[in-house]
Amino acid sequence: MEALRLEGVSKRYGRKPVLEGVNLAVRPGEVYALAGPNGSGKTTLIRLVTGLAFPTQGRALLLGEDVHKSPTARRHLGAVVEAPAAFYPYLTGRENLRLHAYLAGVKEEARIPEVLARLRLLAVADQKVGSYSLGQRQRLGLAAAILPRPKVLVLDEPTSGLDPEGVELVHGLLRELAWEGVAVLLSTHHLQEVSAYAHKVGILGGGRLLEEVALSGKEAYRLEAHPLEGALALLKALPQVASARLQGGAIVFEGDKDAALRALLREGFRVEALGPHRFDLLSYYQERVKHA
Amino acid sequence: MLRLFVFELYKLFRLRSVGLGLLFAFLLPFLWALAPGLKEVYGLVLASGWQVVSLSLLAGMEFLFPFLVVMAASESLGSEVAQGTLKSLLLRPLSRTHLLLAKLLAVLLYPFVLLGVSFLGGLLAGLPHGLGAFYGGTGLGEGGFAGVGLLSPEMALAELLKAHLLAGAVLLPLASLALLYGSVFLSTTASALAAVATLLLMRLLVAFPALTPFLLTTYLDLHLRPQAAGLGLALLLIYTLGFALLAVLVFERKDL
Repeated sequence: MEALRLEGVSKRYGRKPVLEGVNLAVRPGEVYALAGPNGSGKTTLIRLVTGLAFPTQGRALLLGEDVHKSPTARRHLGAVVEAPAAFYPYLTGRENLRLHAYLAGVKEEARIPEVLARLRLLAVADQKVGSYSLGQRQRLGLAAAILPRPKVLVLDEPTSGLDPEGVELVHGLLRELAWEGVAVLLSTHHLQEVSAYAHKVGILGGGRLLEEVALSGKEAYRLEAHPLEGALALLKALPQVASARLQGGAIVFEGDKDAALRALLREGFRVEALGPHRFDLLSYYQERVKHA
Repeated sequence: MLRLFVFELYKLFRLRSVGLGLLFAFLLPFLWALAPGLKEVYGLVLASGWQVVSLSLLAGMEFLFPFLVVMAASESLGSEVAQGTLKSLLLRPLSRTHLLLAKLLAVLLYPFVLLGVSFLGGLLAGLPHGLGAFYGGTGLGEGGFAGVGLLSPEMALAELLKAHLLAGAVLLPLASLALLYGSVFLSTTASALAAVATLLLMRLLVAFPALTPFLLTTYLDLHLRPQAAGLGLALLLIYTLGFALLAVLVFERKDL
């Protein structure tokens, strides 16, 4: 079962559509990054998933439970929906977490120092949140989100306002949580950073999910050959090649590179270059949004 | 639920409007006790400390206490929206109805605390005038401030306690109304303004005599008319519950 699922979710404010028919699913252990220009509906989508806003159509399910019908569905959820995360400024970081622990039904006392340590906040845990820097508040937000050991983590711009060490800390934490089986949905403008560990990227534009790009982790190769079209047709016909497509005057393919090279040379194609291909998510995203 | 209510109460008493309100409620009696123009304006010469307590209640209930209660109830929701903590709370497996009910209970307790502080301030400010038996009245019973003879401290205390409790009941629907508008507008200012405007509009409806017995505004002086408490209290309770129910219904489906 998917940990998080959106089924035909639409949202209108008056007559203005903000999101239209969005379907997406995030499996346990998967990191799904939402990308899109400002105003594309990322924040609205995050608010709908977390139950803070209500869809005009469709539904949002957390481990099969409709988040808008049953507040208890949120027992699986950890989320930060604002940057920086909001806390009571007159309470200390530890007291704020204690309140969240109570609301989330966390009974383990040791869990609070554990998450504070994980987010490197122990030194300021007993200071009032009003004196925290933006980065410290953002990290405290993440600490509160992971406090109840959620199965689904939803984050809106989790690295916003963080210094490079903070960014690295957050990425490391998300990678670790995904490895432990937590489904992570995050919105971001920093595609290069998340492409290192995200499994899927959803590109939003004009309130629609334009495309889902699977960052499979399989090795891909970039081939420059002549004539290009013929080489592409050959690769597509080879059983050792899983996929092949044209990209920027070259062929990008997944599969056995030695078998592909042998076949190309046997058929008389002139091979000018063959090497590993690093998927440039940012360029792909820019191209996709431009043509949307 | 009890812990949530206690936390809501704690947050309520951290609000600026509540802090200022309690300060004003405490200081107002001292102002009245020292006011040089009481005789000229009200034809009153203070004969007892008990009269300072009642004078503060009467003056406060004119506008200040209703306004402070409306502000506090509006801010209890509006401040959470403004600082973003409402979203953090609702990301937890907590029902919106429970949260709003905890807030409602806290803001319904506030009028009694406010009036209690005013009462205490009145007693302290009235000490120099004495709190023993006196010839005159509290202004809340028979004969007004002139009274009908000797008034014992026990009778004065009973009259004042009854009037303060009735005044507290009068303020309950106002708190509930402000919370309703808070749920609609999610803003302290808009909610307080809407609640005050609603009361002013309701006052204008006295031009429709058939409606008058059922208007909330007809009973805003119930502390002065304890004989009307039967129907008055029932209607105030209905208004309080009605506004609270509407607030819950609105809040349940409100986008944040």
